[in-house]
Amino acid sequence: MIVKANIKEAMRSLLAAKQRTLLALIGIFVGIGSVIAMVSVGTIVQNEALRQFREMGTDILTIGREFGGGSQSRQDEISLDDALEIPTYCRQISAVAPYASSFGKYKYEGKKWDAPVLGVTESFLDLNKLTLREGRFISDLDHRSYFCVAGDAMGKKLRSLGVKHIIGTQIFFSEKLFTIVGIIENAPMGGMRPYEINDSVMVPLPISQRLSQGGKIQNIIGRIRPGGDHVVATTEVKNYFKKMVRGMAVRIRSAEEIIAQMQKQMRLFTILLGAIGSISLIVGGVGVMNVMLVSVAERKKEIGIRRALGAQRGDIQLQFIVESIMLCMVGGLLGIGLGIGASYGISIFSKWSFSLSYHAILLGVIVSAAVGIFFGFYPARQASRLNPIDALRSE
Amino acid sequence: MIDIHDLHKFYQIGPIEMEILKGVNLKVDKGEFLSIVGTSGCGKSTLMNIMGLLDVASTGSYFLEGRDVSQFSDRKQSATRNQKIGFVFQHFYLLSKLAAVENVALPLTYRGFGDKERRQRSVRMLEKVGMEHRQHHRPTELSGGEQQRVAIARAFVGNPSIILADEPTGALDTRVGQEIMNLFLRLNEEEGVTVIIITHDPGIARQCKRAVRMTDGLLRDELF
Repeated sequence: MIVKANIKEAMRSLLAAKQRTLLALIGIFVGIGSVIAMVSVGTIVQNEALRQFREMGTDILTIGREFGGGSQSRQDEISLDDALEIPTYCRQISAVAPYASSFGKYKYEGKKWDAPVLGVTESFLDLNKLTLREGRFISDLDHRSYFCVAGDAMGKKLRSLGVKHIIGTQIFFSEKLFTIVGIIENAPMGGMRPYEINDSVMVPLPISQRLSQGGKIQNIIGRIRPGGDHVVATTEVKNYFKKMVRGMAVRIRSAEEIIAQMQKQMRLFTILLGAIGSISLIVGGVGVMNVMLVSVAERKKEIGIRRALGAQRGDIQLQFIVESIMLCMVGGLLGIGLGIGASYGISIFSKWSFSLSYHAILLGVIVSAAVGIFFGFYPARQASRLNPIDALRSE
Repeated sequence: MIDIHDLHKFYQIGPIEMEILKGVNLKVDKGEFLSIVGTSGCGKSTLMNIMGLLDVASTGSYFLEGRDVSQFSDRKQSATRNQKIGFVFQHFYLLSKLAAVENVALPLTYRGFGDKERRQRSVRMLEKVGMEHRQHHRPTELSGGEQQRVAIARAFVGNPSIILADEPTGALDTRVGQEIMNLFLRLNEEEGVTVIIITHDPGIARQCKRAVRMTDGLLRDELF
């Protein structure tokens, strides 16, 4: 109840010195606005980066050849059979999609160009969560046939070269004639998909292994069975390769692991951004302290009167701290609005999905109050320490 | 009620030590109406500050209602001031941002009274000084005499043991000043509160039941 009286008094004092109050307010407004904008943007960026990973599912592993020491094998390659046996020997793995990625020369009606090529199995479509626009995907029965599936950008290129019906069209790759049997919808690169599907043509993996410009299997995508554990799966696969594939060493990355790492890094990044935003907040806080000191100096007589009426030093201190907190909270609330508005603008401009981060708002409220207390403390203490008799004689 | 014995007060001004009060003795009973007369600089304001617990004596004893308050801590001084002492100043010293009733309620705020209780007591006090019809006015909207009435209400509102008034009529014209003196006399009768008026004006002193003169840091004669 004495706090309520103080709050009313504080509002009255602040409104009585409008110009001064407004100037101090601006400092806090910008300061809190910066911190909130930074933290909010940091969170949005974090979510955006994770979204790409999450798109493919968090139950994905990539298995790759380990280079540099530790392998006793003389053979360079993972064979198709080695890869296809994995689900049999590793109970945590439900499906695998080995692939070979390479680059080569394409030719159509005299036009030549270079583009990537991917040698894939039937499971590639599902494991990468790709969708077919037209036609069909590579089948495991195609292993001797020169069929291929075009990525979205490759399809557009052929259309620009005058092709009306892409399905059934034949193009040359690596001096061999392929028939296109399907087109894939646009699929962005990134995350667990470190290959450019849109620009590529997908061919059956056994075919790509036999082409001069085809690739060797360097990586395998695996899906962990429902309810499985990525740590156990990793161990199983490593052991499989060690025991069953000539002591081969493999490097395994799980989506879950990467996501956790990314989250940790991004959190640090967001904290760093917040700290940078805090610099302007410190300046704002100094402005508040300045304004409060002027306020105390101008109101010495009032302080003297209150003390004469029996106010304790603590009462005077409380009065001025409350005033400081009120000032900062008003500026802070406006600053939160500014910060969220700014982060909304930035996310619209960068085409990220905007999310309202409630902990940023809470942060803004707490920091405002803290700034009020911290920067108001010195002036409030000065006020409480005034000698009543001298204070009464002021002005 | 008040028992002051051999009170000395020294002030250090640079290298020089000045003795303002040189062994003051004073006894005041409950309900008395006393004036302390003296020229400016004689130390009467200093004595008032010590009596009002705004300052502490260098040596000597000051018993207020049987308690030795001369060496109280700041905390205890403020609390006792709040509960036992009411001040009235020459220049009224009301807070200009607050309305009359809020000014009167201010001492009660520091005692922790609730909103409703504060308001009730303040309005009642304003009635006693004849100002409740102007309770929502700010000091700038009131005349000098009206402001002093409000200040008196503020001094009395907490049921203090003593009222200390420092030249209460000094900023008012003769007629208004007399009204204020009449108010003091009436409240002294009705409430039974001890009133001590510090003044340089013998005309004021004459209206009090008892007067003492302060000369050079010592209370000398009792007038009439």
